[in-house]
Amino acid sequence: MKLGKVIRWELNQSLRSKQFVIVTILIPVVIGLVAFVASRAIGGKVDASSEPPPPFIIGMFLAFILFLGAFMSGVMTMYGVMKEKQSRVVEMMMSSVSAWELMCGKLIGLGLAGLVQVIVWSAIVYVGAGLFIPISLASLTLVHWITYPLYFILGYLFIASIFGTVGASIKDIHSGGAVGLAGAIPYLPMMFIWLILDKPDTLWIRIAGFFPPFVPGVMLLRIGATPIASEGTRFVPTWEIALSLVSLALGTLLMMRFATKVFEVGMLMTGKSASLRELWRWGRSKA
Amino acid sequence: MSEALLHVEGVSKTFESVRAVNDVSFNVGRGEILGFLGPNGAGKTTTIRMILGIFRPDSGTIHCALDGASGEVPKERTGYLPEERGLYSDAKVLELLVYFGELKGLTRTEARQRARTWLERFDLLDWASKRVEKLSKGMQQKIQFTASILHRPDLVVLDEPFSGLDPVNQNLLHEIIGGLRKDGTAILLSSHRMNLVEALCDRIFLIHNGRRVLYGDLEEIKESHGEHAVAMRFTGDGSELAQLPGVANLRLEEGRATFTLERHVGPDAFVRNLPESIEIRALSVDRPPLHDIFVRTIEGRVS
Repeated sequence: MKLGKVIRWELNQSLRSKQFVIVTILIPVVIGLVAFVASRAIGGKVDASSEPPPPFIIGMFLAFILFLGAFMSGVMTMYGVMKEKQSRVVEMMMSSVSAWELMCGKLIGLGLAGLVQVIVWSAIVYVGAGLFIPISLASLTLVHWITYPLYFILGYLFIASIFGTVGASIKDIHSGGAVGLAGAIPYLPMMFIWLILDKPDTLWIRIAGFFPPFVPGVMLLRIGATPIASEGTRFVPTWEIALSLVSLALGTLLMMRFATKVFEVGMLMTGKSASLRELWRWGRSKA
Repeated sequence: MSEALLHVEGVSKTFESVRAVNDVSFNVGRGEILGFLGPNGAGKTTTIRMILGIFRPDSGTIHCALDGASGEVPKERTGYLPEERGLYSDAKVLELLVYFGELKGLTRTEARQRARTWLERFDLLDWASKRVEKLSKGMQQKIQFTASILHRPDLVVLDEPFSGLDPVNQNLLHEIIGGLRKDGTAILLSSHRMNLVEALCDRIFLIHNGRRVLYGDLEEIKESHGEHAVAMRFTGDGSELAQLPGVANLRLEEGRATFTLERHVGPDAFVRNLPESIEIRALSVDRPPLHDIFVRTIEGRVS
Protein backbone atom coordinates (compact mmCIF):
# COMPACT_ATOMS: atom_id res chain seq x y z
CA MET A 1 0.00 0.00 0.00
CA LYS A 2 2.42 2.64 1.23
CA LEU A 3 5.16 1.16 -0.92
CA GLY A 4 2.98 1.75 -3.97
CA LYS A 5 2.52 5.38 -3.00
CA VAL A 6 6.23 5.92 -2.52
CA ILE A 7 6.91 4.29 -5.89
CA ARG A 8 4.33 6.44 -7.63
CA TRP A 9 5.68 9.61 -6.03
CA GLU A 10 9.30 8.88 -6.94
CA LEU A 11 8.31 7.93 -10.49
CA ASN A 12 6.22 11.06 -10.98
CA GLN A 13 8.82 13.36 -9.49
CA SER A 14 11.60 12.04 -11.68
CA LEU A 15 9.55 11.87 -14.89
CA ARG A 16 8.80 15.54 -14.41
CA SER A 17 12.31 16.69 -13.62
CA LYS A 18 14.19 18.63 -16.26
CA GLN A 19 17.30 16.46 -16.08
CA PHE A 20 15.24 13.42 -16.93
CA VAL A 21 13.68 14.90 -20.03
CA ILE A 22 17.03 16.22 -21.24
CA VAL A 23 18.85 12.92 -20.73
CA THR A 24 16.07 10.84 -22.29
CA ILE A 25 15.90 12.89 -25.46
CA LEU A 26 19.42 14.20 -25.77
CA ILE A 27 21.48 11.04 -25.34
CA PRO A 28 19.98 9.03 -28.24
CA VAL A 29 20.11 12.08 -30.47
CA VAL A 30 23.81 12.56 -29.77
CA ILE A 31 24.54 8.86 -30.20
CA GLY A 32 22.53 8.79 -33.40
CA LEU A 33 24.45 11.73 -34.81
CA VAL A 34 27.79 10.14 -33.95
CA ALA A 35 26.74 6.86 -35.55
CA PHE A 36 25.51 8.67 -38.62
CA VAL A 37 28.74 10.61 -39.04
CA ALA A 38 30.78 7.46 -38.40
CA SER A 39 28.88 5.46 -40.98
CA ARG A 40 29.39 8.24 -43.53
CA ALA A 41 33.10 8.28 -42.72
CA ILE A 42 33.58 4.58 -43.41
CA GLY A 43 31.69 4.70 -46.66
CA GLY A 44 28.16 4.38 -45.40
CA LYS A 45 27.29 1.58 -47.78
CA VAL A 46 24.04 0.04 -46.82
CA ASP A 47 23.57 -3.52 -47.83
CA ALA A 48 19.85 -3.83 -48.25
CA SER A 49 19.97 -7.59 -48.49
CA SER A 50 21.77 -8.05 -45.18
CA GLU A 51 20.45 -10.52 -42.66
CA PRO A 52 18.42 -9.34 -39.66
CA PRO A 53 20.76 -8.62 -36.74
CA PRO A 54 21.76 -11.75 -34.85
CA PRO A 55 20.77 -11.97 -31.17
CA PHE A 56 24.21 -11.04 -29.94
CA ILE A 57 23.77 -7.54 -31.38
CA ILE A 58 20.54 -7.18 -29.48
CA GLY A 59 22.11 -8.67 -26.34
CA MET A 60 24.97 -6.25 -26.68
CA PHE A 61 22.63 -3.37 -27.24
CA LEU A 62 20.60 -4.34 -24.18
CA ALA A 63 23.70 -4.69 -22.05
CA PHE A 64 24.88 -1.27 -23.12
CA ILE A 65 21.52 0.31 -22.56
CA LEU A 66 21.14 -1.46 -19.22
CA PHE A 67 24.42 -0.11 -17.98
CA LEU A 68 23.82 3.34 -19.30
CA GLY A 69 20.27 3.48 -17.92
CA ALA A 70 21.21 1.89 -14.61
CA PHE A 71 24.03 4.35 -14.28
CA MET A 72 21.70 7.30 -14.92
CA SER A 73 19.00 6.22 -12.52
CA GLY A 74 21.60 4.88 -10.11
CA VAL A 75 23.10 8.32 -9.90
CA MET A 76 19.62 9.78 -9.50
CA THR A 77 18.93 7.33 -6.65
CA MET A 78 22.24 8.13 -5.03
CA TYR A 79 21.57 11.82 -5.32
CA GLY A 80 18.00 11.45 -4.06
CA VAL A 81 19.00 9.42 -1.01
CA MET A 82 21.80 11.84 -0.22
CA LYS A 83 19.55 14.87 -0.57
CA GLU A 84 16.91 13.25 1.57
CA LYS A 85 19.50 12.69 4.24
CA GLN A 86 20.75 16.26 4.07
CA SER A 87 17.38 17.97 3.94
CA ARG A 88 16.00 15.91 6.81
CA VAL A 89 12.92 14.98 4.79
CA VAL A 90 14.02 11.59 5.92
CA GLU A 91 12.64 12.25 9.40
CA MET A 92 9.26 13.15 7.96
CA MET A 93 9.29 10.05 5.78
CA MET A 94 10.49 7.71 8.49
CA SER A 95 7.72 8.82 10.81
CA SER A 96 5.29 7.57 8.14
CA VAL A 97 6.92 4.61 6.39
CA SER A 98 9.61 2.06 7.21
CA ALA A 99 13.16 2.41 5.91
CA TRP A 100 12.56 -0.65 3.73
CA GLU A 101 9.45 0.87 2.15
CA LEU A 102 11.28 4.13 1.56
CA MET A 103 14.37 2.50 0.03
CA CYS A 104 12.39 0.03 -2.11
CA GLY A 105 10.04 2.79 -3.19
CA LYS A 106 12.95 4.89 -4.34
CA LEU A 107 14.75 2.06 -6.11
CA ILE A 108 11.65 0.78 -7.88
CA GLY A 109 10.18 4.20 -8.63
CA LEU A 110 13.40 5.52 -10.09
CA GLY A 111 13.94 2.16 -11.77
CA LEU A 112 10.58 2.50 -13.53
CA ALA A 113 11.53 5.99 -14.62
CA GLY A 114 14.74 4.46 -15.98
CA LEU A 115 12.70 1.84 -17.79
CA VAL A 116 10.69 4.55 -19.49
CA GLN A 117 13.98 6.07 -20.51
CA VAL A 118 15.27 2.79 -21.89
CA ILE A 119 12.08 2.18 -23.85
CA VAL A 120 12.31 5.63 -25.39
CA TRP A 121 15.94 5.01 -26.33
CA SER A 122 15.19 1.61 -27.80
CA ALA A 123 12.31 3.02 -29.82
CA ILE A 124 14.48 5.81 -31.16
CA VAL A 125 17.24 3.38 -32.07
CA TYR A 126 14.79 0.94 -33.64
CA VAL A 127 13.15 3.57 -35.77
CA GLY A 128 16.28 5.60 -36.43
CA ALA A 129 18.51 2.68 -37.39
CA GLY A 130 15.64 1.16 -39.36
CA LEU A 131 16.00 4.01 -41.80
CA PHE A 132 19.42 2.73 -42.84
CA ILE A 133 19.41 -1.01 -42.24
CA PRO A 134 16.60 -3.53 -42.04
CA ILE A 135 15.96 -4.36 -38.43
CA SER A 136 13.89 -7.27 -37.37
CA LEU A 137 13.60 -9.08 -34.10
CA ALA A 138 12.93 -12.34 -35.93
CA SER A 139 16.17 -13.92 -34.79
CA LEU A 140 15.11 -13.74 -31.14
CA THR A 141 13.80 -16.98 -29.71
CA LEU A 142 11.53 -17.56 -26.76
CA VAL A 143 14.57 -17.97 -24.53
CA HIS A 144 15.67 -14.46 -25.35
CA TRP A 145 12.23 -12.98 -24.80
CA ILE A 146 12.05 -14.55 -21.36
CA THR A 147 15.59 -14.08 -20.14
CA TYR A 148 16.48 -10.63 -21.43
CA PRO A 149 13.79 -8.77 -19.46
CA LEU A 150 14.59 -10.73 -16.28
CA TYR A 151 18.32 -10.06 -16.43
CA PHE A 152 17.56 -6.53 -17.38
CA ILE A 153 15.17 -5.69 -14.54
CA LEU A 154 17.04 -7.55 -11.81
CA GLY A 155 20.34 -6.18 -13.02
CA TYR A 156 18.86 -2.76 -12.93
CA LEU A 157 17.69 -3.07 -9.33
CA PHE A 158 21.01 -4.56 -8.30
CA ILE A 159 23.04 -1.72 -9.74
CA ALA A 160 20.63 0.93 -8.44
CA SER A 161 20.85 -0.48 -4.89
CA ILE A 162 24.62 -0.22 -5.00
CA PHE A 163 24.26 3.44 -5.86
CA GLY A 164 21.59 3.78 -3.17
CA THR A 165 24.02 2.36 -0.62
CA VAL A 166 26.67 4.81 -1.73
CA GLY A 167 24.19 7.68 -1.46
CA ALA A 168 23.20 6.61 2.04
CA SER A 169 26.78 6.41 3.20
CA ILE A 170 28.23 9.67 1.98
CA LYS A 171 27.92 13.17 3.35
CA ASP A 172 27.83 15.08 0.07
CA ILE A 173 28.46 14.64 -3.61
CA HIS A 174 32.18 15.37 -3.25
CA SER A 175 32.90 12.52 -0.91
CA GLY A 176 32.31 9.35 -2.89
CA GLY A 177 35.79 7.93 -2.38
CA ALA A 178 36.46 4.23 -2.17
CA VAL A 179 32.82 3.46 -1.49
CA GLY A 180 31.79 5.11 -4.75
CA LEU A 181 33.93 2.67 -6.70
CA ALA A 182 31.65 -0.18 -5.65
CA GLY A 183 29.22 1.09 -8.25
CA ALA A 184 31.70 0.17 -10.96
CA ILE A 185 31.88 -3.57 -10.17
CA PRO A 186 28.90 -4.69 -12.30
CA TYR A 187 30.48 -2.86 -15.21
CA LEU A 188 33.60 -5.02 -15.25
CA PRO A 189 32.25 -7.64 -17.72
CA MET A 190 31.92 -4.90 -20.32
CA MET A 191 35.70 -4.65 -20.39
CA PHE A 192 35.83 -8.24 -21.60
CA ILE A 193 33.03 -7.84 -24.08
CA TRP A 194 34.98 -9.21 -27.05
CA LEU A 195 36.23 -12.20 -25.09
CA ILE A 196 32.69 -13.03 -24.01
CA LEU A 197 31.26 -12.63 -27.50
CA ASP A 198 34.08 -14.64 -29.04
CA LYS A 199 34.15 -17.61 -26.65
CA PRO A 200 31.01 -17.43 -24.52
CA ASP A 201 31.48 -20.95 -23.15
CA THR A 202 34.90 -20.46 -21.60
CA LEU A 203 34.99 -21.79 -18.06
CA TRP A 204 35.84 -18.52 -16.28
CA ILE A 205 33.07 -16.72 -18.12
CA ARG A 206 30.61 -19.42 -17.14
CA ILE A 207 31.69 -19.12 -13.51
CA ALA A 208 31.50 -15.32 -13.56
CA GLY A 209 27.96 -15.71 -14.82
CA PHE A 210 26.85 -17.01 -11.41
CA PHE A 211 28.32 -14.17 -9.40
CA PRO A 212 25.53 -11.60 -8.80
CA PRO A 213 27.35 -8.38 -9.73
CA PHE A 214 28.55 -9.92 -13.02
CA VAL A 215 25.38 -11.78 -13.92
CA PRO A 216 23.63 -9.08 -15.96
CA GLY A 217 26.70 -8.13 -18.00
CA VAL A 218 27.97 -11.65 -18.63
CA MET A 219 24.63 -13.33 -19.25
CA LEU A 220 23.11 -10.73 -21.55
CA LEU A 221 26.16 -11.06 -23.76
CA ARG A 222 26.53 -14.82 -23.41
CA ILE A 223 22.97 -15.76 -24.22
CA GLY A 224 23.04 -13.57 -27.28
CA ALA A 225 26.42 -14.81 -28.46
CA THR A 226 26.11 -18.54 -27.86
CA PRO A 227 24.07 -19.62 -30.89
CA ILE A 228 26.52 -18.20 -33.37
CA ALA A 229 29.78 -18.74 -31.57
CA SER A 230 29.59 -22.23 -30.17
CA GLU A 231 29.27 -25.23 -32.31
CA GLY A 232 28.24 -28.03 -29.98
CA THR A 233 25.55 -26.47 -27.85
CA ARG A 234 23.11 -24.06 -29.38
CA PHE A 235 21.99 -22.49 -26.15
CA VAL A 236 23.36 -21.76 -22.74
CA PRO A 237 22.20 -24.75 -20.63
CA THR A 238 18.89 -24.06 -18.93
CA TRP A 239 20.25 -24.89 -15.49
CA GLU A 240 22.93 -22.23 -15.91
CA ILE A 241 20.33 -19.65 -16.83
CA ALA A 242 18.14 -20.66 -13.90
CA LEU A 243 21.02 -20.67 -11.44
CA SER A 244 22.29 -17.29 -12.57
CA LEU A 245 18.81 -15.81 -12.29
CA VAL A 246 18.31 -17.19 -8.79
CA SER A 247 21.73 -15.94 -7.81
CA LEU A 248 21.01 -12.49 -9.22
CA ALA A 249 17.58 -12.35 -7.55
CA LEU A 250 19.05 -13.27 -4.16
CA GLY A 251 21.94 -10.88 -4.68
CA THR A 252 19.52 -8.09 -5.54
CA LEU A 253 17.42 -8.74 -2.47
CA LEU A 254 20.51 -8.79 -0.25
CA MET A 255 21.83 -5.64 -1.85
CA MET A 256 18.51 -3.89 -1.27
CA ARG A 257 18.47 -4.97 2.35
CA PHE A 258 22.04 -3.84 2.74
CA ALA A 259 21.18 -0.45 1.24
CA THR A 260 18.24 -0.13 3.65
CA LYS A 261 20.40 -0.90 6.68
CA VAL A 262 23.10 1.53 5.64
CA PHE A 263 20.39 4.09 5.06
CA GLU A 264 18.91 3.52 8.51
CA VAL A 265 22.21 4.01 10.27
CA GLY A 266 23.60 6.56 7.85
CA MET A 267 20.70 8.96 8.12
CA LEU A 268 21.71 9.78 11.69
CA MET A 269 25.29 10.47 10.74
CA THR A 270 24.79 13.54 8.59
CA GLY A 271 28.19 14.93 9.51
CA LYS A 272 30.44 12.29 8.00
CA SER A 273 30.86 9.77 5.22
CA ALA A 274 31.35 6.10 5.96
CA SER A 275 34.58 4.24 5.32
CA LEU A 276 34.35 0.79 3.77
CA ARG A 277 34.75 -0.84 7.16
CA GLU A 278 32.02 1.32 8.71
CA LEU A 279 29.79 0.62 5.75
CA TRP A 280 30.14 -3.08 6.40
CA ARG A 281 29.26 -2.58 10.06
CA TRP A 282 26.29 -0.31 9.29
CA GLY A 283 24.96 -2.75 6.76
CA ARG A 284 24.80 -5.55 9.28
CA SER A 285 23.66 -3.57 12.32
CA LYS A 286 20.28 -3.79 13.90
CA ALA A 287 18.31 -0.58 13.74
CA MET B 1 -6.35 15.48 31.87
CA SER B 2 -7.84 12.10 31.15
CA GLU B 3 -6.11 8.73 30.85
CA ALA B 4 -2.58 9.00 29.43
CA LEU B 5 -2.21 8.21 25.73
CA LEU B 6 1.53 7.85 25.31
CA HIS B 7 3.56 5.87 27.81
CA VAL B 8 7.34 5.98 27.76
CA GLU B 9 8.77 3.60 30.33
CA GLY B 10 12.42 3.18 31.30
CA VAL B 11 13.72 3.86 27.82
CA SER B 12 17.45 3.83 27.06
CA LYS B 13 19.43 4.11 23.84
CA THR B 14 23.16 3.88 23.24
CA PHE B 15 25.03 4.91 20.08
CA GLU B 16 28.55 3.62 19.65
CA SER B 17 29.20 3.65 23.41
CA VAL B 18 27.50 7.03 23.97
CA ARG B 19 24.46 6.75 26.16
CA ALA B 20 22.10 9.16 24.44
CA VAL B 21 19.04 8.37 26.52
CA ASN B 22 19.19 6.80 29.96
CA ASP B 23 16.19 5.27 31.69
CA VAL B 24 13.66 7.92 30.70
CA SER B 25 9.98 7.61 31.66
CA PHE B 26 7.05 9.92 31.15
CA ASN B 27 3.58 10.00 29.69
CA VAL B 28 1.40 12.37 27.71
CA GLY B 29 -2.36 12.48 28.14
CA ARG B 30 -5.12 13.33 25.72
CA GLY B 31 -5.72 17.06 25.57
CA GLU B 32 -2.42 17.73 27.25
CA ILE B 33 0.69 19.57 26.13
CA LEU B 34 3.89 18.24 27.62
CA GLY B 35 6.86 20.58 27.27
CA PHE B 36 9.90 18.49 26.39
CA LEU B 37 12.93 20.56 27.29
CA GLY B 38 16.66 20.19 27.56
CA PRO B 39 19.93 21.72 26.42
CA ASN B 40 21.33 20.88 23.00
CA GLY B 41 22.50 17.30 22.79
CA ALA B 42 20.59 16.23 25.90
CA GLY B 43 18.83 13.38 24.13
CA LYS B 44 15.61 15.08 23.07
CA THR B 45 15.73 14.22 19.38
CA THR B 46 16.75 10.63 20.12
CA THR B 47 13.78 10.24 22.45
CA ILE B 48 11.42 11.79 19.91
CA ARG B 49 12.70 9.49 17.18
CA MET B 50 12.10 6.48 19.37
CA ILE B 51 8.55 7.61 20.12
CA LEU B 52 7.89 7.96 16.40
CA GLY B 53 9.31 4.53 15.68
CA ILE B 54 12.22 5.84 13.61
CA PHE B 55 14.36 3.56 15.70
CA ARG B 56 13.92 1.21 18.59
CA PRO B 57 15.08 1.72 22.18
CA ASP B 58 17.76 -0.65 23.48
CA SER B 59 15.65 -1.21 26.57
CA GLY B 60 12.36 0.02 27.99
CA THR B 61 9.02 0.29 26.24
CA ILE B 62 7.04 2.92 24.40
CA HIS B 63 3.40 2.27 23.89
CA CYS B 64 0.13 3.97 23.12
CA ALA B 65 -3.30 3.49 24.65
CA LEU B 66 -5.67 3.78 21.70
CA ASP B 67 -9.20 2.48 21.19
CA GLY B 68 -9.11 0.83 24.57
CA ALA B 69 -6.09 -1.28 23.71
CA SER B 70 -2.43 -0.71 24.43
CA GLY B 71 0.20 -1.36 21.80
CA GLU B 72 2.98 -0.01 19.67
CA VAL B 73 2.69 3.56 18.51
CA PRO B 74 0.98 3.35 15.09
CA LYS B 75 2.61 5.58 12.50
CA GLU B 76 -0.76 6.52 10.98
CA ARG B 77 -1.88 8.11 14.22
CA THR B 78 1.15 10.22 14.99
CA GLY B 79 2.23 13.49 13.49
CA TYR B 80 5.69 14.95 13.50
CA LEU B 81 7.04 18.41 12.91
CA PRO B 82 10.83 18.04 12.81
CA GLU B 83 13.04 20.87 13.96
CA GLU B 84 14.74 21.28 10.63
CA ARG B 85 12.66 21.72 7.50
CA GLY B 86 11.78 18.32 6.11
CA LEU B 87 10.12 18.95 2.76
CA TYR B 88 11.01 17.96 -0.80
CA SER B 89 12.11 21.35 -2.07
CA ASP B 90 11.35 20.69 -5.74
CA ALA B 91 7.85 19.32 -5.13
CA LYS B 92 4.69 21.38 -5.42
CA VAL B 93 3.08 22.47 -2.18
CA LEU B 94 -0.35 20.88 -2.51
CA GLU B 95 0.96 17.68 -4.08
CA LEU B 96 3.48 17.27 -1.29
CA LEU B 97 0.81 17.72 1.37
CA VAL B 98 -1.42 15.19 -0.36
CA TYR B 99 1.49 12.73 -0.53
CA PHE B 100 2.31 13.07 3.16
CA GLY B 101 -1.40 12.75 3.96
CA GLU B 102 -1.69 9.60 1.88
CA LEU B 103 1.31 8.04 3.62
CA LYS B 104 -0.56 8.59 6.87
CA GLY B 105 -3.54 6.66 5.55
CA LEU B 106 -5.78 9.36 4.08
CA THR B 107 -7.36 8.88 0.69
CA ARG B 108 -6.27 11.17 -2.10
CA THR B 109 -9.50 13.18 -2.05
CA GLU B 110 -9.56 13.50 1.72
CA ALA B 111 -5.97 14.61 1.78
CA ARG B 112 -6.52 17.16 -0.97
CA GLN B 113 -9.62 18.60 0.69
CA ARG B 114 -8.00 18.96 4.07
CA ALA B 115 -4.80 20.35 2.62
CA ARG B 116 -6.77 23.05 0.82
CA THR B 117 -8.64 23.95 4.00
CA TRP B 118 -5.39 24.34 5.89
CA LEU B 119 -3.72 26.29 3.11
CA GLU B 120 -6.64 28.65 3.20
CA ARG B 121 -6.42 29.03 6.94
CA PHE B 122 -2.72 29.82 6.64
CA ASP B 123 -3.41 32.19 3.76
CA LEU B 124 -1.26 30.09 1.41
CA LEU B 125 -3.86 28.95 -1.11
CA ASP B 126 -2.23 31.03 -3.84
CA TRP B 127 0.95 29.02 -3.34
CA ALA B 128 -0.68 25.61 -3.70
CA SER B 129 0.85 24.84 -7.08
CA LYS B 130 4.20 26.55 -6.46
CA ARG B 131 7.35 24.65 -5.69
CA VAL B 132 8.28 24.42 -2.03
CA GLU B 133 11.64 26.09 -2.63
CA LYS B 134 9.87 29.30 -3.73
CA LEU B 135 8.32 29.71 -0.29
CA SER B 136 9.79 31.76 2.52
CA LYS B 137 11.04 30.10 5.66
CA GLY B 138 7.93 31.01 7.60
CA MET B 139 5.64 29.73 4.85
CA GLN B 140 7.55 26.44 4.74
CA GLN B 141 7.16 26.16 8.48
CA LYS B 142 3.39 26.47 8.07
CA ILE B 143 3.43 23.79 5.37
CA GLN B 144 5.50 21.58 7.63
CA PHE B 145 3.03 22.08 10.43
CA THR B 146 0.11 21.28 8.15
CA ALA B 147 1.82 18.06 7.08
CA SER B 148 2.14 17.01 10.70
CA ILE B 149 -1.56 17.35 11.55
CA LEU B 150 -3.38 16.80 8.24
CA HIS B 151 -4.44 13.27 9.21
CA ARG B 152 -5.75 14.40 12.63
CA PRO B 153 -3.29 12.33 14.63
CA ASP B 154 -3.89 11.33 18.22
CA LEU B 155 -0.32 12.19 19.13
CA VAL B 156 1.64 15.13 17.71
CA VAL B 157 5.30 15.83 18.27
CA LEU B 158 6.18 19.44 17.59
CA ASP B 159 9.86 20.38 17.56
CA GLU B 160 10.33 24.17 17.58
CA PRO B 161 6.97 24.79 15.85
CA PHE B 162 7.30 28.58 16.01
CA SER B 163 10.69 28.88 14.37
CA GLY B 164 10.75 31.36 11.52
CA LEU B 165 7.23 32.68 12.18
CA ASP B 166 6.39 36.35 12.59
CA PRO B 167 4.33 37.44 15.64
CA VAL B 168 1.04 37.36 13.72
CA ASN B 169 1.62 33.80 12.57
CA GLN B 170 2.92 32.84 16.00
CA ASN B 171 -0.45 33.88 17.39
CA LEU B 172 -2.27 31.94 14.73
CA LEU B 173 -0.27 28.80 15.41
CA HIS B 174 -0.69 29.28 19.14
CA GLU B 175 -4.43 29.35 18.62
CA ILE B 176 -4.37 26.25 16.40
CA ILE B 177 -2.29 24.27 18.88
CA GLY B 178 -4.75 25.30 21.59
CA GLY B 179 -7.53 23.97 19.35
CA LEU B 180 -5.77 20.64 18.96
CA ARG B 181 -5.47 20.32 22.71
CA LYS B 182 -9.15 21.07 23.08
CA ASP B 183 -9.96 18.31 20.59
CA GLY B 184 -8.12 15.84 22.78
CA THR B 185 -4.82 15.55 20.91
CA ALA B 186 -1.83 14.55 23.00
CA ILE B 187 0.97 17.00 22.22
CA LEU B 188 4.67 16.74 22.90
CA LEU B 189 6.20 20.18 22.43
CA SER B 190 9.93 20.61 22.29
CA SER B 191 11.29 24.14 22.29
CA HIS B 192 14.02 26.39 23.58
CA ARG B 193 11.62 29.33 23.82
CA MET B 194 10.68 29.28 27.45
CA ASN B 195 8.02 31.97 27.18
CA LEU B 196 6.12 29.84 24.67
CA VAL B 197 6.51 26.73 26.75
CA GLU B 198 5.14 28.67 29.73
CA ALA B 199 2.20 29.93 27.72
CA LEU B 200 1.27 26.54 26.23
CA CYS B 201 2.37 23.62 28.36
CA ASP B 202 0.55 21.89 31.16
CA ARG B 203 3.51 19.88 32.34
CA ILE B 204 7.19 19.82 31.49
CA PHE B 205 9.91 17.22 31.22
CA LEU B 206 13.49 18.43 31.45
CA ILE B 207 16.18 16.08 30.15
CA HIS B 208 19.92 16.52 30.62
CA ASN B 209 22.70 14.14 29.58
CA GLY B 210 20.06 11.61 28.65
CA ARG B 211 18.46 11.61 32.09
CA ARG B 212 15.39 13.17 33.59
CA VAL B 213 16.13 16.14 35.81
CA LEU B 214 12.68 17.72 36.19
CA TYR B 215 9.25 16.34 35.48
CA GLY B 216 5.87 17.51 36.56
CA ASP B 217 3.14 20.09 36.55
CA LEU B 218 4.48 23.45 35.37
CA GLU B 219 2.66 25.38 38.12
CA GLU B 220 3.91 23.05 40.81
CA ILE B 221 7.46 23.20 39.55
CA LYS B 222 7.31 26.96 39.67
CA GLU B 223 5.83 26.82 43.14
CA SER B 224 8.60 24.56 44.36
CA HIS B 225 11.25 26.83 42.90
CA GLY B 226 9.81 29.38 45.34
CA GLU B 227 11.82 32.56 44.86
CA HIS B 228 9.71 35.29 43.32
CA ALA B 229 11.24 37.77 40.98
CA VAL B 230 10.50 41.43 41.72
CA ALA B 231 11.02 44.41 39.47
CA MET B 232 10.13 47.91 40.60
CA ARG B 233 10.45 51.59 39.68
CA PHE B 234 10.36 54.21 42.40
CA THR B 235 11.44 57.67 43.43
CA GLY B 236 14.11 57.92 46.08
CA ASP B 237 17.49 56.27 46.43
CA GLY B 238 15.99 52.91 47.43
CA SER B 239 18.59 52.20 50.07
CA GLU B 240 15.81 50.93 52.36
CA LEU B 241 15.26 47.98 50.06
CA ALA B 242 18.43 46.22 51.13
CA GLN B 243 17.21 46.23 54.73
CA LEU B 244 13.90 44.54 53.96
CA PRO B 245 13.52 40.90 55.03
CA GLY B 246 13.85 38.30 52.30
CA VAL B 247 15.37 40.56 49.65
CA ALA B 248 18.23 38.86 47.79
CA ASN B 249 20.26 39.42 44.64
CA LEU B 250 19.38 43.11 44.75
CA ARG B 251 20.41 45.20 41.78
CA LEU B 252 19.86 48.91 42.16
CA GLU B 253 19.97 51.42 39.38
CA GLU B 254 18.70 54.97 39.18
CA GLY B 255 15.07 54.63 40.30
CA ARG B 256 14.94 50.96 39.35
CA ALA B 257 15.45 47.76 41.29
CA THR B 258 15.32 44.05 40.53
CA PHE B 259 15.70 41.36 43.17
CA THR B 260 14.40 38.00 44.26
CA LEU B 261 12.41 37.14 47.32
CA GLU B 262 13.69 34.36 49.53
CA ARG B 263 11.35 31.47 49.91
CA HIS B 264 10.09 32.26 53.38
CA VAL B 265 8.80 35.67 52.28
CA GLY B 266 5.77 35.49 50.06
CA PRO B 267 4.75 38.31 47.74
CA ASP B 268 1.87 39.06 50.06
CA ALA B 269 4.06 39.67 53.11
CA PHE B 270 6.55 41.60 51.04
CA VAL B 271 4.02 44.09 49.72
CA ARG B 272 2.51 44.66 53.16
CA ASN B 273 5.91 45.37 54.66
CA LEU B 274 7.00 47.92 52.09
CA PRO B 275 7.99 51.11 53.91
CA GLU B 276 6.02 54.22 53.05
CA SER B 277 9.21 56.12 52.31
CA ILE B 278 9.50 54.34 49.00
CA GLU B 279 7.23 55.93 46.46
CA ILE B 280 6.37 53.13 44.01
CA ARG B 281 5.76 53.94 40.35
CA ALA B 282 5.60 50.42 39.00
CA LEU B 283 5.84 47.03 40.62
CA SER B 284 5.78 43.48 39.34
CA VAL B 285 6.10 40.37 41.43
CA ASP B 286 6.37 37.17 39.48
CA ARG B 287 7.19 33.61 40.06
CA PRO B 288 10.56 32.69 38.62
CA PRO B 289 10.41 32.45 34.86
CA LEU B 290 10.91 28.98 33.44
CA HIS B 291 14.02 30.33 31.80
CA ASP B 292 15.66 30.80 35.21
CA ILE B 293 14.52 27.41 36.47
CA PHE B 294 15.96 25.80 33.35
CA VAL B 295 19.31 27.56 33.66
CA ARG B 296 19.60 26.99 37.39
CA THR B 297 18.71 23.32 37.15
CA ILE B 298 21.12 22.61 34.34
CA GLU B 299 23.96 24.67 35.80
CA GLY B 300 23.41 23.09 39.18
CA ARG B 301 23.89 19.71 37.52
CA VAL B 302 27.02 20.73 35.71
CA SER B 303 28.88 21.99 38.78
